[in-house]
Amino acid sequence: MLHIGRERIPACGDVTRRSFLTAGAAGLAGLSLPCRFSLEAAGAVDHSKAKIRNCITIFLVGSPGHLDTWDMKPEAPDDVRGKFRPIDTNVPGVQICEHFPLMARIMDRVALIRSLYHNSGASHENGQRWMMTGQDFNPNSVQPHSGSVVSRVFGPRGDLPASIILPGKIGNTGAGPYHGQTAAYLGSAHEPFVLGADPANGDFKVANLTPPADQDELRISARRQLLGQIDALQRRSESKSTQDLDASYARAFNLLTSPATKMAFELQHEADVLRDRYGRNTLGQSCLMARRLIEAGSRYVTVNHFDTVFNLTCWDMHADGGGLNNTYLDYERHLCPQFDQAFSALILDLEQRGLLQETVVAVLSEMGRTPKLNPRGGRDHYPPAWTNFLCGGNVRGGQVIGSTDKLGAAPHDYPIEPPRVLASIYHGMGIDLETTMMPGPGGRPIRFIEAEPIRELF
Amino acid sequence: MEQKFEGAPRAEIRLEGRRAVRGEVVNDWGSRLQWQIKRDGQVLATPAARADTSYEHPDATPGEYEVVLQMWQYVNYRKTPEGEFIDSKFVDISNKLNYKV
Repeated sequence: MLHIGRERIPACGDVTRRSFLTAGAAGLAGLSLPCRFSLEAAGAVDHSKAKIRNCITIFLVGSPGHLDTWDMKPEAPDDVRGKFRPIDTNVPGVQICEHFPLMARIMDRVALIRSLYHNSGASHENGQRWMMTGQDFNPNSVQPHSGSVVSRVFGPRGDLPASIILPGKIGNTGAGPYHGQTAAYLGSAHEPFVLGADPANGDFKVANLTPPADQDELRISARRQLLGQIDALQRRSESKSTQDLDASYARAFNLLTSPATKMAFELQHEADVLRDRYGRNTLGQSCLMARRLIEAGSRYVTVNHFDTVFNLTCWDMHADGGGLNNTYLDYERHLCPQFDQAFSALILDLEQRGLLQETVVAVLSEMGRTPKLNPRGGRDHYPPAWTNFLCGGNVRGGQVIGSTDKLGAAPHDYPIEPPRVLASIYHGMGIDLETTMMPGPGGRPIRFIEAEPIRELF
Repeated sequence: MEQKFEGAPRAEIRLEGRRAVRGEVVNDWGSRLQWQIKRDGQVLATPAARADTSYEHPDATPGEYEVVLQMWQYVNYRKTPEGEFIDSKFVDISNKLNYKV
């Protein structure tokens, strides 16, 4: 069995040779990147379509209450409007929560979408799958993550994987293992590369790029030479797919040994003042790493703000007194300030480097939260209305798309379902959804997504 | 993945008249940053300090005032039945300043 990151994946075709390679390369590298690259080498990628923009998605696991963040209703009754006050932004007429003062200063770059909704059940997983794949969930036809779609159609640039998830995949959020963060039928070649470590940790190392302690670069090179000799012997009797594998192994070695690739993951090369600006926490340092990875050639980086909703602070504000006990205090003291700092630092950093026009930044979540506060002062799951936002790329900032009613209970105008957000991200990246196809299940060409972009965003 | 916070935040503050001015925060955890204003040992106010680098407390009641910059230190989210944090707390991250009115 091969592994990519922490996930087990099926072994590929030529078992005997691969069995050797698995043993050799797993010991060699601690992972099996070659399998992924082999599939790319087998013709999965159309490099001729490589001129697109990048995307960084920040996924707010647990779902912020829209009434407490980006769709405030100060005129609503006490048990609806909540505890926070709105503040003005640098866009006249647009207000957001008082705990986003830094974001308020860059609202002219941001396009809020205030009329999102979906009709699936109110679980985290439903919302995650909608926002990660743009598709409703069918366990018999699991859909690929948007980063995997981009990887499949446009391929990598350089040695870095096209799609990367920081710091880790979404884990247990209560209702099953499908979170929409896999390549699904697109194959293991396009599984997102998962960092699997916390970049805010003082002794941070990339789990998937750090060879075992007893295997230094010299041993890796020695094993590569050995592999090359065995390949030469076997090449006479094997097919073209074996030769494709050679290229994939070369890329895996490059990923492990390339100084440029390693450097992209090394935050210590950034100035301390910039690291402080992002916030010395998991989200902040992940956002900084996302910028470095985009700069170094990755196309699509997903930053998960939390990997679970249980027994830790996160956006899932039930205030239940038990394992889901996030409250207004978590929002005020931790979550909103942390997001405010990381997001605004990312946007300004990208802008100063000339990367914002080349990078769509999408802030997504699963759903909204109940307009009426629950008896404990929290808010529960609520898919009928919420707010997400985009900026960068060719997205026109400083605007609000759609609105909700006076209580934030339902879209008042311009109701928008999740697939249109995904379509807008692709469109913002410069992907022509009318002409660009992707392989569907079984390999037949299908559209990227069966939805139109939100034209007003551009 | 539990949240990690690197280093210990630190900032210098100074007084310009009664206005407190802060420098950049080093090792900034990115959590809530606030001024704590005390008069004669009693906490009067804890206004947010992230957006602006200075603050002047409007209260001119006579007394001995103390100003310090604080940041939220998240340890875990355990709370009392009343909803207050148990282990996580605000910590001082600056020098303390005093003035009299």
